[in-house]
Amino acid sequence: MNSLVILPVLLPFLIGAVLILLAKKHQAQRVITSLTVLSMLAASVILAVDVYQNGIATMEMGDWPAPFGIVFVADMFATMMVILSSIVGVVCLFFAFSTISTEREKFYFYPFYLFLLAGVNGAFLTGDLFNMFVFFEVMLLASYVLIVMGGTKYQLRESFKYVVINVFASMLFLIGVAYIYGALGTLNMADMAVRIEETGQTGILNVIAILLLIVFASKGALFPLYFWLPKSYYGPPSAIAALFGGLLTKVGIYAIIRLFTLVFNHDIGFTHNIILALAGFTMFFGVLGAVSQFDFKRILSYHIISQVGYMVMGLGIFTPLALAGAIYYIAHHIIVKSALFLFSGATESITGTTDLKKMGGILKTHPLLAWMFFITAVSLAGIPPLSGFFSKFPLILSGMQEGRYIITAVALLVGLLTLFSMLKIFIYAFWGEQKHTDEQAAKKIGPILLPIVPMVLLTIILGFAAEPIFSYSYGIAEELLEPSIYINSVLGE
Amino acid sequence: MEILMSITVGVLFMVATYLMLSRSIFRIVMGLVIISHGAHLLILTMGGLQNGMPPLLGQEAANYTDPLPQALILTAIVISFGLTAFVLVLAYRTYDAHKTDDLDQLRGTSDE
Amino acid sequence: MTFLHWAIISPFLLAILIPFFYRYIPKIHTGWFVFILPLALFGYFMQQMLQTTSQGGVVEASAPWVPSLQIFYTVYLDGLSILFALLITGIGALVVLYSIYYLDKKKEALNNFYVYLLMFMGAMLGVIISDNMIVLYVFWELTSLSSALLISYWFQRDKSIYGAQKSMLITVFGGFAMLGGFAILYSITGTFSIQETIASADLVMASNLFIPAMILVLLGAFTKSAQFPFHIWLPDAMEAPTPVSAYLHSATMVKAGLYLVARFTPVFAGVPEWFWIVSGVGLFTLFWGSLSAVRQKDLKGILAFSTISQLGLIMSLLGVGSASLYFNDGVENALYHAAIMTAIFHLINHATFKGSLFMAIGIIDHETGTRDINRLGGLMTIMPVTFTITLIGAASMAGIPPFNGFISKEMFFTGMLEAMEISAWNMQTFGILFPVIAWVASIFTFLYCLILFFKTFTGKFKPENFDKHVHEAPIGMLISPIILVVLVIVFGLFPNLLAYSLIEPAMQSILPGVMTGGERFYVDIYLWHGFELELFMTMGVIALGTLLFIYMKKWSSLAIYKKESDILNPLYDGSLSALVTGSQKITRAQITGRLRDYLAYMSIFIVLLLAYTMFRYDAFSMPTENISPIPGYMWVLVLLFILTTVVVPFINDRMAVIIIVGALGFLVAIFFVAFRAPDLALTQFLIETVVVVLFLLAFKHLPNLKKERTKPRIQVTNAIISVGVGVMVTLIGLSSYAFRQENGLESISQYFIDNSYELAAGENMVNVILVDFRGLDTILEVLVLAIAALGVITLIKLRMTGREDV
Repeated sequence: MNSLVILPVLLPFLIGAVLILLAKKHQAQRVITSLTVLSMLAASVILAVDVYQNGIATMEMGDWPAPFGIVFVADMFATMMVILSSIVGVVCLFFAFSTISTEREKFYFYPFYLFLLAGVNGAFLTGDLFNMFVFFEVMLLASYVLIVMGGTKYQLRESFKYVVINVFASMLFLIGVAYIYGALGTLNMADMAVRIEETGQTGILNVIAILLLIVFASKGALFPLYFWLPKSYYGPPSAIAALFGGLLTKVGIYAIIRLFTLVFNHDIGFTHNIILALAGFTMFFGVLGAVSQFDFKRILSYHIISQVGYMVMGLGIFTPLALAGAIYYIAHHIIVKSALFLFSGATESITGTTDLKKMGGILKTHPLLAWMFFITAVSLAGIPPLSGFFSKFPLILSGMQEGRYIITAVALLVGLLTLFSMLKIFIYAFWGEQKHTDEQAAKKIGPILLPIVPMVLLTIILGFAAEPIFSYSYGIAEELLEPSIYINSVLGE
Repeated sequence: MEILMSITVGVLFMVATYLMLSRSIFRIVMGLVIISHGAHLLILTMGGLQNGMPPLLGQEAANYTDPLPQALILTAIVISFGLTAFVLVLAYRTYDAHKTDDLDQLRGTSDE
Repeated sequence: MTFLHWAIISPFLLAILIPFFYRYIPKIHTGWFVFILPLALFGYFMQQMLQTTSQGGVVEASAPWVPSLQIFYTVYLDGLSILFALLITGIGALVVLYSIYYLDKKKEALNNFYVYLLMFMGAMLGVIISDNMIVLYVFWELTSLSSALLISYWFQRDKSIYGAQKSMLITVFGGFAMLGGFAILYSITGTFSIQETIASADLVMASNLFIPAMILVLLGAFTKSAQFPFHIWLPDAMEAPTPVSAYLHSATMVKAGLYLVARFTPVFAGVPEWFWIVSGVGLFTLFWGSLSAVRQKDLKGILAFSTISQLGLIMSLLGVGSASLYFNDGVENALYHAAIMTAIFHLINHATFKGSLFMAIGIIDHETGTRDINRLGGLMTIMPVTFTITLIGAASMAGIPPFNGFISKEMFFTGMLEAMEISAWNMQTFGILFPVIAWVASIFTFLYCLILFFKTFTGKFKPENFDKHVHEAPIGMLISPIILVVLVIVFGLFPNLLAYSLIEPAMQSILPGVMTGGERFYVDIYLWHGFELELFMTMGVIALGTLLFIYMKKWSSLAIYKKESDILNPLYDGSLSALVTGSQKITRAQITGRLRDYLAYMSIFIVLLLAYTMFRYDAFSMPTENISPIPGYMWVLVLLFILTTVVVPFINDRMAVIIIVGALGFLVAIFFVAFRAPDLALTQFLIETVVVVLFLLAFKHLPNLKKERTKPRIQVTNAIISVGVGVMVTLIGLSSYAFRQENGLESISQYFIDNSYELAAGENMVNVILVDFRGLDTILEVLVLAIAALGVITLIKLRMTGREDV
């Protein structure tokens, strides 16, 4: 079963490379890419089940022992993330089939799509910090191309800012790796954990920890490093925005959680309190951004920021319940966020715009779309019995239990404001008088809606079937809070 | 030597940051180039600039310089190069589309 | 899962089928398919009442839902919940019957309506039967949701949308607060079960989080039951079709807050804070609501504010009654039981008379096309049945004998008068306020009842005021309100029918442990109490109310009468728009559009945070061991390098800048040579050449660099930031290096040195690492290059307008 670990990276990488040669053949590209992402999904599920039953699976590249060679570590957390990325990969791809123009398809859209997924999965699975840097660069560069592909004036302008900020952060990542190597002499994360245990997390190690926190916080769009996000997701087509909105920031969050549970877990009074403070500010300023906007896609972009705050809130509180809530929340958010961006694409295909003030009355002409959106939006705001509630609830509960009243209050308040901003979309776009033409009203959006259906079903299932999902998350949390499990799997007894 | 190189790297980052804070798209690209130099040199410094032999086993020396940072830097150089090329073309296209390289004029309206 | 579990879920299940009934059997009004369910459930609950709860028994069962989070689907049917269950299903059945005649099956989207209605019914049942606080919360929010959907039923109307949004925001705000309160209770008791929490009430009371928990739970109750200042959503909720107003916004949903207060009385009551907050808010709401109702010109508006006021009345009684838990034994106690008893009795009565009034008003609206009291008049002869219904309903609400409203009003006065006698909590000083406010509010209540009744039915009938031909309603629409007014009369003449069947068991739930050893409360309700103070108060109310009505022309030109909208509405609207504008300002201050600002904010934050951490941990250390010596030529090299670097920002000629930056790259290569890295040097030379060529190519098409005309303030800030970044990079670098040397950690590269030849058959260690030990990195870097290359092609060739796809 060891080779299964590399599949989520290998499949998209290789097939993507092959697809470069088939750039002119749309049908072939579509079929091959669909098969690839579906196999990726299957592989990730099998892997996750295997890891759940048999414990952490590792794979040493080239059979060189860790910590000298690069090792892939598939623990429960990583495999869950890989499943989620595969789900989003499948759904956004099928949505893209109905919405992407053929010109994009000619210009290597599918290879870039697959390379992005390869980078994401690699970042989740690798156990080596420099290797993570390289995977991040793969993912980021693919994202740079996808976000600017098409070259409209808006895209060029905003993508330039997006790229520069990200490159700056990447350079900080690189020097962070340099510092770690300078201080500890290793690149393998498990080995770092062992060495820090020996030396104690003193002095400069805390500074490096904060630096790495900053790096991943900028990738994850936490306060105050999120400036690259709000305007950039507006440019690319919805399928891409959905892919980004669901996945890209989560890789940064994954890295923070991984580092601060495995490696830098010794001085939580300091590090995790900073994380908690960042979480609070992120939640708050993110939702204020959403409240201020009157455009469908922009509101969703700001919500991404707001909600990564919740994920790190769980990390900051640092109890099994809190961490379980954070993990559950990640799963919920990835699904719901991607779905919402896809809905914005669906409504744009009907009305021709994402400006809320120009939209209205979609409930009358496309009720199925409206209700699917409503369920998803309400889930985002945390209304039970959907996934949003059951993922926020452990966070609230642990916040109260640990005496973190301020952040809990902020979390509840932000939830209310989230509801307010999602209601705004519903009020303008779906309720109200019909503002689009009858010709637009007659448009059939079956093939566009179909890929979103599984996401809506998932948010319902993740709510009603909260028990198995929560115990799975709790299991992940316990594994994370017991780093020796990870370390032993990698470095041997 | 490490101390001196650390200071040098600091200077590189200082200049690069200053360039990246500028209004001109192309100064920013220059800044990116310089910052990557800084990062590469830093990796080397962190590995120790010992006076061993170059890491070629044919030399049969007692002391070798640390080969790992060198390998890392090679990877980083290539990645930075790819990035630089891409950013350069992106900058060029942005200039070409907007006819200006002044970022203050490329703010976008506040609602847009 | 027992029958009771399924009973609560059954409306949701039926709701799934409704669209099919609507689509495939359009001949039969969908309402008939809905009607069966509440009727059946009513029968079931009646049976449970007669068999179990009226004897003091309880039906409980539990099924797991999310046991890991202590969330169990536990049902607990006792006296309090059976009361509400009967109301929900009984009035629900009547409302559905009414709606069948009210909503035209051809014109209205019935499937939406009944789906929302059933959702609400199930959710409301869930609220009152759940023993688990989180399950209660789930159902609570579902009621908020379904209520908002029902209000927005005619979603093309702006007012409907506004009303739905308002109700959603306010009730969800309360819901979140309540959730917070539940979380606090859990952290004290370790359980979400209400019954278990009641058992641990002293633990809760002793905690220093007692007051916050109480306030949060009360916020939930007050928002849902439209107490001041959260009442403003209820008048706007009148945009919903009248069956909805009759069902949710008078008889059931708004009573959920009262249910919450009643249910949690054993946990929180007995302390002055509870007493003052609950009674105080209740009394003020009673007053405010009745005063505002007088100002309304829309019949539904009068009823809305009337409901607010009556809910306040019941709330204040629950507050006063909490004194029973303080004075746990003694004569004083019995007086406060009476307050609780009155609260329950009035809850039932209010449902009957308010429900009938809403239905009657709905009939008037349906048949005449208007609800404006200035246009209505003289309908007495045209709509005699409706006239009678309204007469009875309004009389009961006004507190006229022999209707049930009269009895509960009298008992209310009794309760307020008794409250004055409480020997604790500063009541000796402030107690007089209670009956005074109650009395004044009752005058207004009487007044608006008169307005409602006389303006509609007496006076001159002016057909020109109406768009339609006015006639009496069809019999189908009249059945439900008739049943309700029959109850008004029956409960008025035979109030003790309810005494031990419903009221007493409910009291046991609210005041558990007060009656020990299976004793029952003494409940005896009767019409005539003799010439007590209460009777005189009532007579005073009738007198003054009538007087005010007769002289209505005099005061109806006052400014305060002209406006209808609540004073707090501008506050709500203003807050929302301030929220949006404020958030726009904050967001624009951050997302300025200028890349420089973003990088500056980030860098400042990074430098400060790192510096702070460094300072806090005293992390800086200068490396002292293993420092390689500096040969002479290195000084020259380094100096040259630094100078070349520093010069770059000041160069304006594009050729010069390319050359200088190229030179930098070549100097780096020379560094690599000096530091014994031959492969690196080779690569760097190659790459730098290519980069210079690229730049030359690109710059051919570009303008010259200009000296930037930036404000000096910005330039200086940039300089400071840059220096900060540079300094931090250096300091951290030095300290990191020092750390490893001090701690004597061996680098993993020793493995590569040792094994490069033996295991990997290569002598060039760097190459072996690249290709073998860390081969994955190398493949990926090639991938990065490939992506970059393809990206460049795409950038140059693909030029779209943005309208091609979504």
